[in-house]
Amino acid sequence: MIKQFFALLLIATSMIPDTNEKIIARQGRVSFFSYTTVENIQADNNQVLSIIDMEDGSIAVSMLMNAFVFEKALMKGHFNESYVESDLYPKGVFEGKIIDFDPNQQGEQIKMIEGIFTMHGVPNELSIKTKIENNNGKYVLTGTFETLVADYDIKIPALLSENISDRIEVNFRFEFQPYEN
Amino acid sequence: MKLTSDLNSSLMRTKNIFTVCLLLLGVVLNSNSQDLLEILDNEQKSEIGYVPATFKMTRIAFGHSTETRSKGVLEVFAANRFWNTPEPRSQSFAADKLSTRIALEYGISDRLSMGIGGTTFDGLFDGYLKYSLFNQQGGDDPFPFNITLFQGGSYNSSGIPNPAINDDFNDRLSFTSQILISRRVSSNFSVQVAPTYVHKSLGLTTEDPNNFFAMGFGARYKLGLHVAVVSEYYATFNPIESFNTYGPFALGVNWELSDVQLQFMLTNAVNMVEDTFITQTRNNFNFKNPNLNFGFNATYVIHFNNALRNTKKRTDSK
Repeated sequence: MIKQFFALLLIATSMIPDTNEKIIARQGRVSFFSYTTVENIQADNNQVLSIIDMEDGSIAVSMLMNAFVFEKALMKGHFNESYVESDLYPKGVFEGKIIDFDPNQQGEQIKMIEGIFTMHGVPNELSIKTKIENNNGKYVLTGTFETLVADYDIKIPALLSENISDRIEVNFRFEFQPYEN
Repeated sequence: MKLTSDLNSSLMRTKNIFTVCLLLLGVVLNSNSQDLLEILDNEQKSEIGYVPATFKMTRIAFGHSTETRSKGVLEVFAANRFWNTPEPRSQSFAADKLSTRIALEYGISDRLSMGIGGTTFDGLFDGYLKYSLFNQQGGDDPFPFNITLFQGGSYNSSGIPNPAINDDFNDRLSFTSQILISRRVSSNFSVQVAPTYVHKSLGLTTEDPNNFFAMGFGARYKLGLHVAVVSEYYATFNPIESFNTYGPFALGVNWELSDVQLQFMLTNAVNMVEDTFITQTRNNFNFKNPNLNFGFNATYVIHFNNALRNTKKRTDSK
């Protein structure tokens, strides 16, 4: 009887964490840069959402493409209408997993995130190095990676190939807090 | 013995339950990442419904579109019309006649734009204010149209040949009021209608009306990410009586790239200011000289407002 009770307890405890152990970032920052000799282009999005399941380290990120702010108003218009086509593909979405994530480790840890980023309707596998800071349960994820414009089926007109880099640098910073349903 | 077999069987049972547990856990974990995205979707739901620019440029062909410029954006605008005189053996280079309107157009705020310009051929100096009242959007608070109010005025600086007309400054003024209503029907196709009222202080003869009512129609079809075909037409309900007028019509291609916007069009409208081309287009649209005009508009966009710097300031001061 004791063992059956133990088994029941095991079932019960294995079901519980799923509902509680999630952390969310509601004002994550994603910036991207295109450096060329002619022109530097930068865009910031300060309303990126991200959520992590502490149980298994799975992570999801969702951003509205039209929330990117550019130096020039016209750039934002071009970006949304002629490059990422925000009316057809309003969101950029990442789904993945932090490999060997240890939620209990205090201080810094460097981990890899592997997953699929979908933008402009094109899914792409990404492997991103991230620094995770854990300050008494306040998690901050930061990192930088590079990606190719061509990977997302985004075409740069030949006339502008000098102005827009085909390699885009992406920076991110997410500050997480416990997620309550 | 019995005790150990009991223990064994209960151990087996625990193992079974444990495997079921693991399976369950696996199912839960598998569906997890889907759950994560669903949670994010719920967090974000209220903000979706963004509709990109309906026309991108502030003009469809010769007439204004519902677009206004963002705050701190200056457009240097040069519009040209080229046409030939009916003389069969004219020896002009490229084209017999040329008219150019040079204008500066500026975004005072994200909703309010203004512009001033001057035209060489008809000697009109004009200015306008344009206010974007509503923008088309989807989402929780949808609105199906863009609505922009336009008020333009012009001063006719050219000599009036009839010495009997005693004109003063006020008589040389004309005013155009428009309600521009447009809709981005699909990602490629946009349409606009423009109820228009024109007041010309000085009629050409006493029998001509001073007030005109017209309706404008415009459309854009995107051929590619940077190129669109456009067409525009204005119908005047009470046209001038002293000579025949026709509705101005244009068929054109708009091309935008980076800071430059180019418009190419074929049109029968020589004039470039609203009050004149709507009410006083003397030729119908056909391929005979001097009816056919080739139009070429070039706009260079200068930004005085760094949106990125502003957001930085805003977030820093928080």
